[in-house]
Amino acid sequence: MASLTRNVFLFLGRTNVSGLGIKEITNRVTYATALFANSTSGNKGLPDRGGRGSVGRRPRREPGEPRTEKMPLDQDWTSVYPSATSFKSNAVPLPVRMGYPVKRGVPPEKKGNLELLKIPNFLHLTPAAIKKHCEALKPFCTEWPSALDTDAKCDEHFPIKVESTDYVCAGPSVRNPSARIVHLKVKLSRFNLDDHARKKMLKLVGERYCKDSDILSITTDSCPLRQQNYEYAKYLLTVLYHESWKIEAWEAEKTAADMEEYSWEDSLSQKNMLDTLLRMKVAGEGEDAEVRKQLLEREDVQDYKDSVVRLKNEGASESSMLQYKEAVRKVFNV
Amino acid sequence: ACHSEKHVGQFYTLPSAHVRHLFPNGLPWRFQHQTKTFNETCIMVRQPALEVISCLKKADYSQPALRYLFYGLKGSGKTLSLCHTVHFCYTQGWLVLHVPDAHLWVKNCKELLPSSYSSSRFDQPLQATTWLRNFKITNEPFLSKIKTKERYVWTKREATEAGSPLGELVDQGISRVKSSSDVVGAVMKELRLQSSQPGADFRMAVAVDGVNALWGRSTIKRQDKTAVDPEELTLVYNLRKLMKNDWSGGAIITTLSQTGSLYTPKSAYLPQELLGERGFDSVDPFIPVSVPNYSEKEFESCYLYYMDRNWLQHPQSRTEEGKKELIFLSNRNPSMLERLCGFL
Repeated sequence: MASLTRNVFLFLGRTNVSGLGIKEITNRVTYATALFANSTSGNKGLPDRGGRGSVGRRPRREPGEPRTEKMPLDQDWTSVYPSATSFKSNAVPLPVRMGYPVKRGVPPEKKGNLELLKIPNFLHLTPAAIKKHCEALKPFCTEWPSALDTDAKCDEHFPIKVESTDYVCAGPSVRNPSARIVHLKVKLSRFNLDDHARKKMLKLVGERYCKDSDILSITTDSCPLRQQNYEYAKYLLTVLYHESWKIEAWEAEKTAADMEEYSWEDSLSQKNMLDTLLRMKVAGEGEDAEVRKQLLEREDVQDYKDSVVRLKNEGASESSMLQYKEAVRKVFNV
Repeated sequence: ACHSEKHVGQFYTLPSAHVRHLFPNGLPWRFQHQTKTFNETCIMVRQPALEVISCLKKADYSQPALRYLFYGLKGSGKTLSLCHTVHFCYTQGWLVLHVPDAHLWVKNCKELLPSSYSSSRFDQPLQATTWLRNFKITNEPFLSKIKTKERYVWTKREATEAGSPLGELVDQGISRVKSSSDVVGAVMKELRLQSSQPGADFRMAVAVDGVNALWGRSTIKRQDKTAVDPEELTLVYNLRKLMKNDWSGGAIITTLSQTGSLYTPKSAYLPQELLGERGFDSVDPFIPVSVPNYSEKEFESCYLYYMDRNWLQHPQSRTEEGKKELIFLSNRNPSMLERLCGFL
């Protein structure tokens, strides 16, 4: 039988303690349907049976006062919880309550609370503990270069940032497969891209680019080793840059649906507007192309163009609708 | 009908003779019940309608037709603003081409026939005949005045000669149900051509409710269960031709409607969302007019109107407290207010 040193509080409140000469406390939990685990030596001649109920009357040893009472206020917490352990209710001096409250009651207290045991706790990672960790790690670190004291300088000299995680594990094997993942982050503004190259790069890269912060992040995890992933990420970056500068023959077939932004020239809207104005015979009679160009130069037509472009690019909203309305009214003099 | 800014918030009564002629079934359903209950048709004068009416007064009718679009949240009064404007046009003696709800043409179609005029399109005889009947009731005086310019051949034995009055064309459509959609197309074409001419003595108002149905999707299916594009429906095709502003001598007044529209989210109310790309490009350039919920003054006026008609029976609704509750519950949305007051 495994003798376990554990404080388990019994719901039925009966503790059988055997082995008086031994420091261990062997507790038997008596439930109605559970089998007994018979104790070892020290039985005072109790008959072996899987009996329920009538266990021998052993003097019940009272649990002592919880350790929290004896804790001074300025104790060293890092020694109470030096590593990640489960929640010990008599070692944590906080009056914590957790769980679903009974009717017209409060959440149950921490003594004997299984909910507190189940959840992960970070009692071993208080600021004091972290300070101690840092102090312990300091001999292994090198100094930060004094010239790089602001973020801007770091970005300027080292635009590419590579991130990878190391894992320490005390188990059958020290290797962790997640250690092979490599993240490569770089700002696109550092690259020398013209208009076409930038659009092509954005299309190639897709989700990996964040517009607000202008950062391209490439995450590689397809190779088994970290060094292989790092080389692959660098290769990807190089290939993206060079490919976006090349212009293929089939790129000439780009349709209006592929365009990222709405351009008013050669659009239906422009055609409609011009046709309407021509029908209104606003400009004098003349050559068709010239008349069109003249019409386009007009200020209210320019306003109209701005409002339509804004509507299409930004989507509809009250203010853009109002702007459009004003522009149309000006064109038609209403 | 000579309303101005000073009259904002006040109700005006439409004479019942006008209502019978102008809106055989053009008014919203709930409003029709309200008219029957109160025994009179009262519309509130509101800013959006006034804006469009003033534009109509100022506009020059030798220019291509201007397009106006009422848009707003659900129940904020777009259809009634349209009706107000249409009534104004009617009192000015214009010819009114009113389509009460374009969504009815793209869904729940009981009979779909292949078109006699063009093999790729489909006809809807039932909706076409209903519309022709309403058109006849609305525009009685014009039917004898306008003459057709071309000759239309319906079947081997029937044809309408050029120069015959429009009324004959309409009657033809009502009696010969099979070709009614084509008659609708012919009527629209005639009117479009004629009002553009400088010598025309009438002006045309095209009023379409739920115009986003023309460019949306439809639930009508062919025999082999493939969906029909709205373009392939004769009625929709002809109406789209009217919506283009290549004719002059009139105005096009439309509203958007999310209520009947298909496959659009409930919260969409801005023109671009409901019209879609194609619709927007076709209606562009247009003047969008926003129809907001009631303002303070308009709410007061509506509340007083209901009180005056003894519509609010509950004792608490007549107090200040009750009024505040009504404001809170309905958020000054006209249709919500109307539904709430119906319970009181």
